[in-house]
This record gives sequence, C-alpha cells and structure tokens, in this order.
Amino acid sequence: MGPPKKSRKDRSGGDKFGKKRRAEDEAFTQLVDDNDSLDATESEGIPGAASKNAETNDEQINTDEYGAKDYRSQMQLRPDHGNRPLWVAPNGHVFLESFSPVYKHAHDFLIAISEPVCRPEHIHEYKLTAYSLYAAVSVGLQTHDIVEYLKRLSKTSIPEGILEFIRLCTLSYGKVKLVLKHNKYFIESPHPEVLQKLLKDPVIQKCRLIRSEGEDFIQGTLDGKAITQFGTKLPPGATDKPTPDPAAAAGADGTTAVPEDITDFYEKIDKEEEDEDEANLKTVSFEVAQEKIEVIQKRCIEIEHPLLAEYDFRNDTNNPDINIDLKPAAVLRPYQEKSLRKMFGNGRARSGVIVLPCGAGKSLVGVTACCTVRKRALVLCNSGVSVEQWKQQFKMWSTADDSMICRFTSEAKDKPMGCGILVTTYSMITHTQKRSWEAEQTMRWLQEQEWGIMVLDEVHTIPAKMFRRVLTIVQSHCKLGLTATLLREDDKIADLNFLIGPKLYEANWLELQKKGYIARVQCAEVWCPMSPEFYREYLTTKTSKKMLLYVMNPSKFRSCQFLIKYHEQRGDKTIVFSDNVFALKHYAIKMNKPFIYGPTSQNERIQILQNFKFNSKVNTIFVSKVADTSFDLPEANVLIQISSHGGSRRQEAQRLGRILRAKKGAIAEEYNAFFYTLVSQDTMEMSYSRKRQRFLVNQGYSYKVITHLKGMDTDSDLMYGTQEEQGQLLQLVLSASDLDCEDEKLPGEPGYRPSGSGGAVRRVGGLSSMSGGDDAIYYEHRKKNIGSVHPLFKKFRG
Amino acid sequence: MADTKSGSGRHSAAGGSGNAVLSPLGQGPANLECKDFQEYLRTRQTPESLEKLYNYPPICLAVFRELPEIARQFIIRILFVDQPVPQAVVTSWGAQRCAKEQAEATSCLTALNVWRVTAIPGGLSAWELSPTFKKSVRQVLLGGGKPWPMTNTLDKDSKPRDIAFLDTYAMSRWRCVLHYMVGTGNRNGTDAEAISPDAVRILLHANLMKRDERDGITITRQGFQFLLLDTRAQVWHFMLQYLDTCEERGISLPECLSMLFQLSFSTLGRDYSSEGMNSQMLTFLQHLREFGLVFQRKRKEGRFYPTRLALNVTSKEAAATASVAMDEEATQDCGYIVVETNYRVYAYTDSPLQVAVLGLFTELLYRFPNLVVGVLTRDSVRQALRGGITAEQIVSYLEQYAHPNMRMVESAIHSKSCLPPTVVDQIKLWELERNRFTYTEGVLYNQFLSHTDFVTLRDYAQSIHMLVWQNERTRTMVVQKNGHDDVKRYWKKYSKSGV
Repeated sequence: MGPPKKSRKDRSGGDKFGKKRRAEDEAFTQLVDDNDSLDATESEGIPGAASKNAETNDEQINTDEYGAKDYRSQMQLRPDHGNRPLWVAPNGHVFLESFSPVYKHAHDFLIAISEPVCRPEHIHEYKLTAYSLYAAVSVGLQTHDIVEYLKRLSKTSIPEGILEFIRLCTLSYGKVKLVLKHNKYFIESPHPEVLQKLLKDPVIQKCRLIRSEGEDFIQGTLDGKAITQFGTKLPPGATDKPTPDPAAAAGADGTTAVPEDITDFYEKIDKEEEDEDEANLKTVSFEVAQEKIEVIQKRCIEIEHPLLAEYDFRNDTNNPDINIDLKPAAVLRPYQEKSLRKMFGNGRARSGVIVLPCGAGKSLVGVTACCTVRKRALVLCNSGVSVEQWKQQFKMWSTADDSMICRFTSEAKDKPMGCGILVTTYSMITHTQKRSWEAEQTMRWLQEQEWGIMVLDEVHTIPAKMFRRVLTIVQSHCKLGLTATLLREDDKIADLNFLIGPKLYEANWLELQKKGYIARVQCAEVWCPMSPEFYREYLTTKTSKKMLLYVMNPSKFRSCQFLIKYHEQRGDKTIVFSDNVFALKHYAIKMNKPFIYGPTSQNERIQILQNFKFNSKVNTIFVSKVADTSFDLPEANVLIQISSHGGSRRQEAQRLGRILRAKKGAIAEEYNAFFYTLVSQDTMEMSYSRKRQRFLVNQGYSYKVITHLKGMDTDSDLMYGTQEEQGQLLQLVLSASDLDCEDEKLPGEPGYRPSGSGGAVRRVGGLSSMSGGDDAIYYEHRKKNIGSVHPLFKKFRG
Repeated sequence: MADTKSGSGRHSAAGGSGNAVLSPLGQGPANLECKDFQEYLRTRQTPESLEKLYNYPPICLAVFRELPEIARQFIIRILFVDQPVPQAVVTSWGAQRCAKEQAEATSCLTALNVWRVTAIPGGLSAWELSPTFKKSVRQVLLGGGKPWPMTNTLDKDSKPRDIAFLDTYAMSRWRCVLHYMVGTGNRNGTDAEAISPDAVRILLHANLMKRDERDGITITRQGFQFLLLDTRAQVWHFMLQYLDTCEERGISLPECLSMLFQLSFSTLGRDYSSEGMNSQMLTFLQHLREFGLVFQRKRKEGRFYPTRLALNVTSKEAAATASVAMDEEATQDCGYIVVETNYRVYAYTDSPLQVAVLGLFTELLYRFPNLVVGVLTRDSVRQALRGGITAEQIVSYLEQYAHPNMRMVESAIHSKSCLPPTVVDQIKLWELERNRFTYTEGVLYNQFLSHTDFVTLRDYAQSIHMLVWQNERTRTMVVQKNGHDDVKRYWKKYSKSGV
C-alpha cells in the first residue's frame, strides 16, 4: 500500500517540500539545550520532593587527608558485617558486593529502590534518588519495608540523613492512584487517611463527582488477578518468579551462614508482593469527573501526592478491544517477562519506562504489552525507518496483519480508520506547520481517539518539551517508554520519569551477556599515531579543521581499511560509523563501499540495508549518525567508529547496540561481536573517547587498547602507505571548506543547514578543490537563496 | 674550524605531547637491593674490617648460624684443631656427589674470611680458620672472655610487659616510620607519632626518600618497593642502612652489630639490663627504641625488653614462623583489594598505612569503616609515576594484595594476572605516555666558519645515515656517536684539501 501513496505525495508536495517533510519525521527537535527560558516552565508539573537530592547530604562531612569523604564517624560497623552485602553512604550511594551469598536478594531489592551507577564484576554501585524511590513506591514497596530491609542488608548502621531522605521521598508518593474503571475515573488508595487529606483540598473537592447524597468512600478490594502469562507458556521453571527455594535456602544457610533476618525478610517482602498480586487489598476510592482530570492531576502534584496512572483495561468497556494476540512462536525471555510483570503486576497496566539494552528485544516487550492491553495502541518512534521496523515486528510477533497496522509518516500514510495500531514518529505528531490535507485528517482522527496504550520508543531521545506536546495531543490511558540508556548529557531525563511514569525495570547488561541474550562484545580502542605532517597541521590550525585532521589521519584510514579487510575475510558484517560526512564519503568512496547519510533517500537506504542483509557481496557499509538509533541490523557483528560526536556517552551506547543482537551459533567463541573505536593519538579524540566510554565501562564492559595492529605494516594493499599519497590527502583536507569540518547536522539539531546536503556532495574530487576552483563563498550564496524553511532553522542560521 | 663537542643529542618522536616530562637520568639504581646478612658482609666489608667484627662473639655466632649446613660442619670439625687442615682432607669429608654443595660451602667460608688458604710443609695447601673468628666462636661455645652486656641480672619488674603488648608496641613504632614515608606521619603532629631527624637521615641515605626542592621530602621508587616488603625485611634493610651511617654518628659499627645480634639471641618477653653499656651503646639503644626494636619505659631506666622485631632481625627461619603470629596486618594483608574494569578500587581495610599506600596512586573517594573506595585515574597514576614509582610496581602491588574473589573470576583463571587486563594495560600505557623520548648518543658539531663547510659536512653525514639533527641557520649538527670517527676523518680530509 505504501509505495503508490508515497509517489502521489511526492507529486503533490513537490520537490521543495520533500526535504522538509523528511526533516519532519526524521528527527526529534532537540530544543532542550538551547532554550533557557523554557527551564522555568519545565520544572512545573514535577513534585517538589523530586528536586531533593541526597548527593548534597554529605557536604558538611569532612574529607580525610587524601581528599576522600570520611564516613567512618557516620556509621558503626556491625559485628556480623561479613555476612551482609551493603554499605550505604550518606550521599545516597550504595555499594553492593556481588559475591555475597545474599546478592540475589539484595540485587532485586536495590534495583527496585535505586538507580544502578555501575555494575562491573565484583562490587556494584547504586544510587538512591528521589525518582528511584518514587518508582519503588509505585511498584508497591512501603517506606517501612525499604528502611527495614536496607538496615538488615547493610554492614553498618544507616546514616540518619539517608533514612530521612527515604521517608521524605516515599511517604507521600505512590499512595494514590488514578484508575479508569468501567469508564469512570476514580481516585483510589489503600490509605483512607490520604484520601481524607486530598478531599480537604478545595480544588480536589470541586472535582469530586458525587452521585448520591452523603456518599462516603467507595469500599473496594483490589481483586485484579495478576497477569501471570504473557503469550506462549514457557516451561514453568523459567516463568516462575524466582522465589527462594526453602531447601536451597537451608543449604545455603548451612554453608555461608546468611543472617536469618535477611532471608526471613526477603521472603516476607516476596510474599507481600504475591499477596498483592493475588489481591484482596482493601482500598477506598472516590469518583472524579472526567473533564476535571487534568486539574486534579496538576493539583495532586502540587500537594506532593502525584497520581499514579493505572489502567484497568480489562474492565474498560468503552473502548473496543482490538483483535490481536501474540503468535505461539513468540517466546518471552525471563527478563522480558519480568519487566512486563512489573508493568502488569496487579492486573492493571502501570505507566512507566522499561530499560533494556539494545538488541535485547525491546520491540517484543512493546508488542506484548500491546497484545496484553488489547486496546487501540499508538507506537511512537523517531525515524521513518524504525516505523517500518515496528510494523514488521508487529507482523512477526503478533497476529496483527497489514489492515490493522497503520503507518503515519511523511512517506507512508495508510488509512487510519478502523485500524488498531498506529505507528508514527514523534515529529509527525508534534509538527506545527501546515500539513497536507490527508495528514490533517489523520491527525484529527488521532486526537479524537482514546488510546489504550502508547508505546514510546527510544524515549530518552525526546526532550521533555516535545514530550509534553505529545501528551497534550494524544489521549492515552497508559504509557510505556522503552529505551536502552536512560541517560542524557544534560540531566533532563529525570523529568521524563514524572511525565511517563517511574522506571519499571532495568536490565543488567553483563548478566544478559553472560546468559547469551545479547552478543558478547569485545570493545577495543585502536590508537592510530598521527603522521608527523598531519600532527604539525593539527597543532597549528584552528579548532574546526583540527577535527577533520584527526579523522582523516592516514594511519586511521589504514587501520580502518585493515580491519575491514580482516573482518571481511572472516565473513563478518561490518558497519563503519562516521559523524563527519566529509570523512564518511572519502573513506567509503576510496574503499568502494556503499554509504548512507542524511540526504540519502528513503528508498536508497532500504535498498542498501537489504543488500547488506542478504547480499553476500556487500559486507561493509558506511553510515553517518542517522543510523545511531533504531536501524535494526541483526546481521552486523563488527562496528568500526572513525569519528563521533564529542564525548556523548549515549551515542557510544547506542552504537554498541547496533551489534548487540545475540548472534546465533557462536557461543563457543569468547567474543562474537567487535566494537572498534579508532582514535588518533595525542589529539582531542583521546579525551573524548575516554569520556564516551564511561557509561559502557560502568555497565561492566572493558575497552582493550590496541596500540598496534598486527600485520598492518606488512600489508601492501592498504592505501596511503607512501608519503606522497599522505601529502595529497593532507592537501585535500586542508582545502576542505569549514562546512566539511563539522559533524553532520541532522534536521532539528542546532546548526543544521537545510542546504548542506546538496553542497557537500560536490566537494568530492580533491583536485578541483585543491585548485581553488570552488570555495566556501559559493555555498554561502546558495544558502541565502533558499526561501521557506522551518522557522526553527532560521534561528540557527542567523 | 669546526669545534666538536661530545654530548647527547635528544631526538624526540614526532607526536610527543607537549607536557611529556623528561625523565631524569641517573636516579640511582632502579630497584631496591635487599641484601641478606652474608651478602652484606661480603660486599660491604673488607677482610680487615671483617677481622675487626670477628672480635665480637655475638657477630661470630650470627655468622655461624647463617652459614650453609656443610660449612657449619666444617667449622665445628676444625674448630679445635690448632694447625691448618689440608684441603684434600676437608674435601674427603663429603661424598663425591655432593661436590657442588661442598664447593659452595668452601667458597662461602672463604668469602667471609672465616678461613683462609695457607701452605703447609710438603707443598700442600691447607685451610686455617681465622684466629679471631676461632677465638670468638670458642668463647661462644665454652664461655669466658669479657662478660656480654645485657647479662646482668635484674630485680623482678614490678610491672612486667607481656608479649602481646610488646608486639603492638613494636608494630606501632615501626608504622610511624612507614607512615612518615608515605607522608601520613604527622610531621607536625604529636611527639609519639613523629620520627627523629636521625631516622629521616637514614631514610634519605638509603634513598628511600629524597629531598625535593618543591615538595620537601618525598618517597622514592625504592621507598615504594620498600613498603612492599614484609616487615622483617623492612627492618633488616633499614638497620643495614643505619649501620652504614652509624660511624658518622660516632658509634662503632662492630659494637652496634654485636648488640643487634645479641638482641636477636634474647628471649621475647624477658627484660634485660642496660647496665655496663657505654654511652654510644645507650644512644644506639635509644634509636632501637624509637624504631620499636626494644621497649623501654623511660629513657633512663636501666631495663628494656627486646621485641619481636629485634628477634627476627637476622634469623630467616624464625621469620617464617613468627611473622604469622606477629603481624596483625599479615591477616589483613592477604588480599583486600578489588580492582574493577571501570578502574574502581575497593580496599577492605582500615589500616592507615594501607590506605596511604593506595593513596599514592589512586584517587580516594569514600571511606567506610572497613572499606575504602577509590578510582585509578590518569592523573592519580601519573602523580605516582612522577614520584618515581613504576607502573610495574603499582600493578604488582595490586596483584599481590588482590582480594581472593578477584582470583576466582573466569578471566583471571585463564590469564596469569587476576587484575582486569584493560586496567593493567592502561596503567602501563599511562607510563609509556611519559616516555616518548628516545635517546641517541651523539656528537655536536658547531662553529663552522662558512656555510659551505657546514653544508658539505652535513651532506656527508646524511649520506652515511649518521646525521641526527641539523640546523642550517645556526650551523649546528649532531652526528651519531658511532659515526663520529668517519665524519671527523672526512672533515680532516676536506679541510686539508680545502686549504
């Protein structure tokens, strides 16, 4: 259905709008960084306690003579500390011994109440934050339980400041829920006193819907049976919640002497959780008027009782069920199951974020969630390519067919009416400019719908502001965010927790790798010495050229060529990443490999990707950062990075994700995927690279530094071996325009030049550049000629 | 006329980073030399001074004890023989297959000047014990001679000290020295913690610490290695250094050594009298007290207790058995450091010394009652490297004290090191980063009279690939050292023909 539509659109839109439209669905405008005035409004809608930070709790604590924070006076070591696995620092950092006999208990508990900071082999670090505690409460943990269990697990006494912090963050959170049941909205809580308090508030009073005089709270029991089965049944051992086996526990007691209070308490919490699953929790609730929902939500946040949105989808008769189920072939892995269990824990759908490494099957989690809710579903992702991929995922895992899945992008607009699943991009929804008539119709329809579930793919990439826009446009009962890295260079990610919901689950990369769910990746940093000529130029030129010099370093080119050759001989599939378009094209053309970057058309992209997948002759492709996220390339197992975006940890993790999908039949080898970063020695790249690696290193990955590639010197096929050739390359680099020196700018990023795509192509063909036949001024003129552009971009061009 | 100067031309790699520090040459021996007693006597003492030492029975006894078993046998056999024993006879005492051990024993005795070769009538060579040595050993065995100091009997101590007390006392004193070295000793703190200028002098003399214009007194790389030794070896090494300097202080070396050994023969937990010691020995005693080798309640009190440090100072076997019991550190020592792939270092310790050693090369973040959390950073490691510590030493320290769990990791089983390979690599790379210079010995040619002269000679040097560096403007060039002769010859020929 797609292609004819698309061509028609192209005709109607004309060439001039073609580019703009691509811009519109490709990218997610990153407005956060560049608009300070928005910050004031951003903090709105986030409860006050969220801004509390345990990190500053230890400011008055003395440092010792080495500059370390000295906590020794803050806590007493307990006599049986050897059997307990934790230290809790007054600044909210928690250290966990992974070799402790009670590691499993402590780990599950810590994942629920805190954010993992780093999880390498032996000692893991977690951090208690307002958000993580909020998440803990929302999945049913009580303040008392948290404090008590933490006390029992800790080797030392818990600093008073931390206890205070936990109480502060948990007492008011998660106590009240907004539930949609039988098409009526209820404010529900197991704590009557909290509801009393809410009702004393005049704003909330007004919103209450009283059907009969003198009505008191509606007494009820939470009778939801937990959803224990997603899709196909797995062998019972795999699906069952890992409850401590009494026999095993006894055995462990005999040998390692786990303090009894730890195991006892763990079992108690575990049981409580199950109790909750099986229900009969007494609750009280009152009904509220539907049209006042927004008011009440806002008010609740102001009085520090943020409402947890829960969707009792099984009792929702207003919205029609859609007819999809998981295919019998779809089998969930234990961690996928676990994450979904957190979401559907009490028989209702909670909103929240699930964090899984790339390649660990996020889409299946999304599809399963949709199939569980069985209401109209909206999937938002960040590029046209991933829209296609989501559609395929739905078709692969569920019984949905083409008629049920509607794509809504600039290039493919299926008929929305009557479909159950709509897949679109963030920018399509938030687009503010004039749309085509057809798009307008779809948007109107979309806004009129009451969506059962909204799946937000790569949720970390969208700024909070854009996300708010989405929320105002789309009415949805429950929101599921999916991401690999809850990480941004600015710390705005935290706000999303309150906009979507708490983090429900976060997987441990190293554990998934050990169990073979994701590839075992060998990360390597290859040091390429700068050739003397290049280094001389590097030291003397201005900043923008510097970057081009270290990316085009001939020994880097040679290393890259060598690695490609080596892996092609092994039969591997290789992706080469370069943020710099000039380098990308030079490398690719020189080595005669296909490449994809911003201006590459959708058709060509798909063609290249298909060839890469199925054509045994195309084993290497070059891509720019357009492929950073959601290009699903399951075949690729080697990644070479020749230039990257400064010190972005997220980009590094995303790129690693491209090769993380588990490789078949390669268990025997120690590593089955390879991630190379080529850095030019003694340049800024070295420090960038160190910074970029921090996230993955904290996940337990280790980077091997390769200072010399064996066999590279003797390989005569490599290019740029002679001084002469290197000199020519240097000339080429020096004559490149300033535009070439920059990273590729995707539409929506600051500094994006709409005309850039056309201009850069003409730069290839070094001799003409050297002769000075075309210089930068030429482009400047052309740029000015371009008329109607997105007002946003105008701003950056100025 | 070109003037040639010999010097070392420096040739740096093209990519040398701006802040690469020229590593100072002539830092002294790279490694700490730890000598045992025999080696010390062999290398530090001349035959004459050995002879002087042998006047002291305790020294002879100590030498005797340290000898190989066969050598001891020889001595006992000929101790009461008043004439030289033919070499053939001595050789015949051992079986043929043990010839090697015998030869070893023989050479050992010769080297220590315990016996020497003399000719006996009949042209045979024979062994004759050194008369002084013979006399002293006989005295040790049979008694007689001057009474040894420390043998005077004392009244019973009203407040006797038990062994446990002595051990803690000794260790706390000794740690003061170590703490001073790592810079945690309170240089300005209380008296009990400070160490005397004499001790500082010894540390400086031993090259364990060095005086730096900028930072005052800092630890050297030998000092770092010193910290890695076990306590017994530390004390022994330190005492040897003390003995080296004691003559300057006006204390007689043989007397000190004699007393040191006498202490080592004493009984732990017993008190001894200092009566009969001369003033020099009393000074020595005060020094020993400072380092924790003896315990004395008051300076003037004529009573002291030798501690385990003194008892262990020489005896090898004793060390093995005693150090286990003595060192409360020893129990902690066996593995308390966890190194993670993310460069985090977790140390299960509360010992200020261990923390101080870690602090030399890690950036410490948090301290819990029984745990120190730190991180290895480029800066922290470079700081240590600048202080003369090598990457190898850091790695070996981390390896030596690695937590038992570190050894059980899958990857550690396959490789010989239990540390994450990336961390080891990185520490080494950080070191390499600092050593980018390659040194070429060369000869400097300058003060050429004319440009042509310079160009001719330069081109010649270049043609035989001996040119290291040249600057046309200043008419200066550096030629490799082994090319110097050729270039000189060429220059002579050229200048002759030119005239």
